[in-house]
Amino acid sequence: MSSYFTRAKDDLAYNERVFVEGRGHFVDDIIKPGALHMSIVRSPYARAKILSIKGGMSSKDLGARMASVGEGAMEGKNSVIQPVFATGYVNYVGEAVAAVFADDRYKSEDLLDSVEVEYEPVKPVVSIEDALSSPPIHQGLKSNIISEGWRGKEFPDPASPIVLEDVFMNRRIATNPIEPRGIVADYDGKVLSVWISTQSVHSIKEGLCEALGLGPDAVRVMQADTGGAFGSKGGLYPEYVIASFAAMKYRRPVKWIETRMEHLSSTSHGRGAKGIVKIFAERSGKITGLKGEVIVDAGAYGAGMGEFASRFIATMMTGPYMIENAHVKSTSVLTNKVTLGPYRGAGRPEASFFIERMVDKLADELKVDPVDLRILNSSESKFRSPLGMEIDAAKPFLDQAVKELDYRRKAKSTHNIGFSFFVLVPAFAPGETARVKVDGGKVSVWLGGNSHGQAHEVFVRKLVNEELGVPENLITLYRGDTGMLKDGVGSWGSRSAMVGGAAVISACRKMKEEVITKFGKYSVQSLLSGAFDVYVNEEQKGSLNSFGANLATVDIGKLGSVKVRECAAYYDVGRALNMDMVIGQIQGGMAQGIGQTLHEEMAFNEDGQLLTASISDAGVPLAEDIPNFEVKVAQNPSRLPHGAKGLGESPTIGVPTALARAIEKASGKRIRETPIRPEHIL
Amino acid sequence: MENVKIRSRVNGKDIESEVEPRKLLVHYIREDLGLTGTHVGCDTSNCGACTVLVDGKAVKSCTMLAVQANGREITTIEGLSRQGKLHPIQEAFLEKHGLQCGYCTSGMIMTSFWLLRKNRNPTEEEIRKNLSGNLCRCTGYQSIVDSITYASKLMKADETEKEGIMVEQ
Amino acid sequence: MNPSSFEYFAPKRIEEAFDILAKYDGEAKILAGGQSLIPLLKLRLTSIPYVVDISRIEELSYIRESHNELHIGALTTIDDIENSASIRGKYPIIFDAASNIADPLVRNRGTVGGNISHGDPSNDMPAVMLALGAKFTIASARGDRVADADGFFIDTFTTALKYGEILREITIPGRGTHEAGCYMKNKKTAGDFSVAGIAVQIRFNNSGTIEKAGIGMTSVNPKPIRAIKAENYLKGKKVGDSVVREASRLVVSESNPSTDFYGTVEFKKQVLAKIAEDAIYMATDRAEEN
Repeated sequence: MSSYFTRAKDDLAYNERVFVEGRGHFVDDIIKPGALHMSIVRSPYARAKILSIKGGMSSKDLGARMASVGEGAMEGKNSVIQPVFATGYVNYVGEAVAAVFADDRYKSEDLLDSVEVEYEPVKPVVSIEDALSSPPIHQGLKSNIISEGWRGKEFPDPASPIVLEDVFMNRRIATNPIEPRGIVADYDGKVLSVWISTQSVHSIKEGLCEALGLGPDAVRVMQADTGGAFGSKGGLYPEYVIASFAAMKYRRPVKWIETRMEHLSSTSHGRGAKGIVKIFAERSGKITGLKGEVIVDAGAYGAGMGEFASRFIATMMTGPYMIENAHVKSTSVLTNKVTLGPYRGAGRPEASFFIERMVDKLADELKVDPVDLRILNSSESKFRSPLGMEIDAAKPFLDQAVKELDYRRKAKSTHNIGFSFFVLVPAFAPGETARVKVDGGKVSVWLGGNSHGQAHEVFVRKLVNEELGVPENLITLYRGDTGMLKDGVGSWGSRSAMVGGAAVISACRKMKEEVITKFGKYSVQSLLSGAFDVYVNEEQKGSLNSFGANLATVDIGKLGSVKVRECAAYYDVGRALNMDMVIGQIQGGMAQGIGQTLHEEMAFNEDGQLLTASISDAGVPLAEDIPNFEVKVAQNPSRLPHGAKGLGESPTIGVPTALARAIEKASGKRIRETPIRPEHIL
Repeated sequence: MENVKIRSRVNGKDIESEVEPRKLLVHYIREDLGLTGTHVGCDTSNCGACTVLVDGKAVKSCTMLAVQANGREITTIEGLSRQGKLHPIQEAFLEKHGLQCGYCTSGMIMTSFWLLRKNRNPTEEEIRKNLSGNLCRCTGYQSIVDSITYASKLMKADETEKEGIMVEQ
Repeated sequence: MNPSSFEYFAPKRIEEAFDILAKYDGEAKILAGGQSLIPLLKLRLTSIPYVVDISRIEELSYIRESHNELHIGALTTIDDIENSASIRGKYPIIFDAASNIADPLVRNRGTVGGNISHGDPSNDMPAVMLALGAKFTIASARGDRVADADGFFIDTFTTALKYGEILREITIPGRGTHEAGCYMKNKKTAGDFSVAGIAVQIRFNNSGTIEKAGIGMTSVNPKPIRAIKAENYLKGKKVGDSVVREASRLVVSESNPSTDFYGTVEFKKQVLAKIAEDAIYMATDRAEEN
């Protein structure tokens, strides 16, 4: 299989150096003579009845339904599973209706016009409000509500003197990794081999097996170098099923590379959550209760993050604070938009935005310093929140953060300052798998979660070296491959250094025992002279949370343009396995936090047409839009053997809230939404 | 449509090909020449993942036809290193972690190459302004700016060293 | 996305280009730097059977000064304009616009002639040309004709260029002793299209009274337009807060923006009012420095 690439056959390792030389192995770099290129005929309507389809491959050829796999996957019986090809109706602009195949991408695009689809447009359901008041978009449902529930226990309104209520919105945004999605599928009559840009080869395999009815031995999924993902490459998409099906049908390799337009219209969006929050507080500032509702715009189909997100957000609505009573309703609704998926933070930034905005509002009501209010509501000891979160002692960290970020001095010198405090709840459970193999004097490692820019190879080399004493230059982490590692979870939810790291350590320790059994005692030499192969599934239960704080200061121009003067972070990263990588993750996430707050949005008009149809319109920030960041970390080791904590999503949780507050102070306008458009603060 | 014969110099090698007029330069480079280090990231000339040098100027090879490269000199990311030795800009991007996923990296390096040729000592502001045709989603740009600043130092050191050798000779 | 098929011609002389255009009567399209046309072809928003690439006609790329006028060949790249010391020194209004078009990589290929003849109301050079009172030399098989920038822009993506004609040269009138201008635009992110843009060129007499003002606007009308009322109002006035405020009010009154993703009508008018004031002050400051 590896002959697909131009580089050496055995060179499937993660390797930073190849990128500066232009020798990466991205999925579009697989240039195979004889391959078919696939293009997709997509719905131009947000909602329409399909009267007829002439030409191309469509639902009459492949009537399969999607599978719920990856981050936020749900097996709910009532969920509305998307068909691979639109069947009977189209339900969002960009939904796959038919596929065409040709020898190259130019010719397959030429063929798009040859497919004739007759539609009868229907008025679409576009907003959350429409969804709640309109008949269901799919037949057979009672309403557009696909998930509904409560977190916490109902409680009578406290007799507290202060009652504040507000409504917030984090608008939808696109994940926009610079490498779009892509797949190459090939079938030899026995095994479907798939190369893909992904966060989890195992999710893709599971999804393909389920959607196409194939057994686990009939599918092998291999990760190409993956050019960013930020949540959008963890699960199954219709194009993957179609390309695989076509490869099996035509017995030729099939390649599909997403265009940016397709990415914006047809790859899951993130955020898209509305929060209605009411807090009760004493004059002292102590928050006595929280009631609220989270409504998530799930898009046209369920079974994934859209269904799960509202409940997840609701669980985190009290943030890191000690609030005795809380009761939050969670609702996910169907709309005629592309499905909602995870985007860096995946519910965490939304929950934090809702609670942090309320704490700032309370500070204004009481005319006290918002940081003092945060300290007052933080606990000295660990506790379980009424919504079900396990939270460590928050106050010691917060006290330290106030010092590290130099908040007191800065708050004296500028009015336009925001400070945020949050608890990161990473995707700790159910753990992760790893395989460590020694052969020919070298150590090879595979991880269940697949790196897509986080340099997993760096922590793997370090941990294997620490555990086994093998020099780092003899240790290689290979890209995800279901042929080399039988199962695994995936790289998302700030989890890989924690749970992937723990799995690697566990595998190394098991291997060490095997060496001792064989040779009587352990030495690096005896290890490397032998052949060992260890697989572990290192399960994790419960949660492993960490704290973070951000500070931002801004200037606002006369035309409502925001200049971020200062953007600082102080996060507890546990033991930093490599400080450069930690800082890089934080800086990158902070830029995305600024993007969400100031620029990024996927906007639709009332017909459900996407108004933001380029990566520039989508608001991805440029170098000029981003300041230098000040990053500090605390290294309070976790209970894991290597002491790591979650990290990747912290910046997208903490930055929007701190920045929103700074803008609120600078503009004098209450901030309730992201992105904050210049019109709102003029 | 009839194919058109083009001759160009790519990474120092003279190459003659026949291409379809509609073929974009980036696809010619990637698929006809097999130089897959140049990437495609968008449809709208925003992202700059496809940046190459044409006659010494950094341009977006997705917004140029292959036929327009007839008679021109093209440099891609693969043309920067010499006998396996990385160019100082490539070294700097590794040293200062100017990349995470690696997808925008070729374009970033090619733009940096052009920038540092016209401005040996750019300020941070000049660097950020000159990167406005290149998007990165991973790094937050800070490490890229640091890489370019560091590259300008390495290149100066390289020159001083070369001058030293010439004096000795 | 990628272009559909077309036949390609790359004439080296302008006369050859006329011949090809004539041969494919009405069906051929001129490609210069390609920074607008190629994206359109890629998105298949337009399909053209015959593409005439004029970028190899070297005689159309120059920046020359003669008889106190500035002559710019239509194929001069935006980057060359940005880096021209004489333009930067004498016509900062052109430099302002050039150095803010799209991004440096696009400017390395994009041409001034393309920016003008595309007829895109969000392109920056048209407003500058209106403010400067530029003249365009338009070449065709019948010979050259000269058109004023004023009147050249007919509608969105429509200019006075007829099929078979090629923009040859842009002529900028001589600059007075106390004359300067500037171009300003507002955009949401660095790489974005503008919410609004304004070009202002002002000539003062020795006593500081405005002799002549030229004002062009970007992105606030279906086509690039002049703010004629504001220009007339400024004539004979001295720059002061109330004069600038009134001129800015007139500029806004002559704009006709529409609500879209980049902003509401109200917001665009607010933006235009502010940048109009800033641009008049900036042009005045620069004129005083001369």
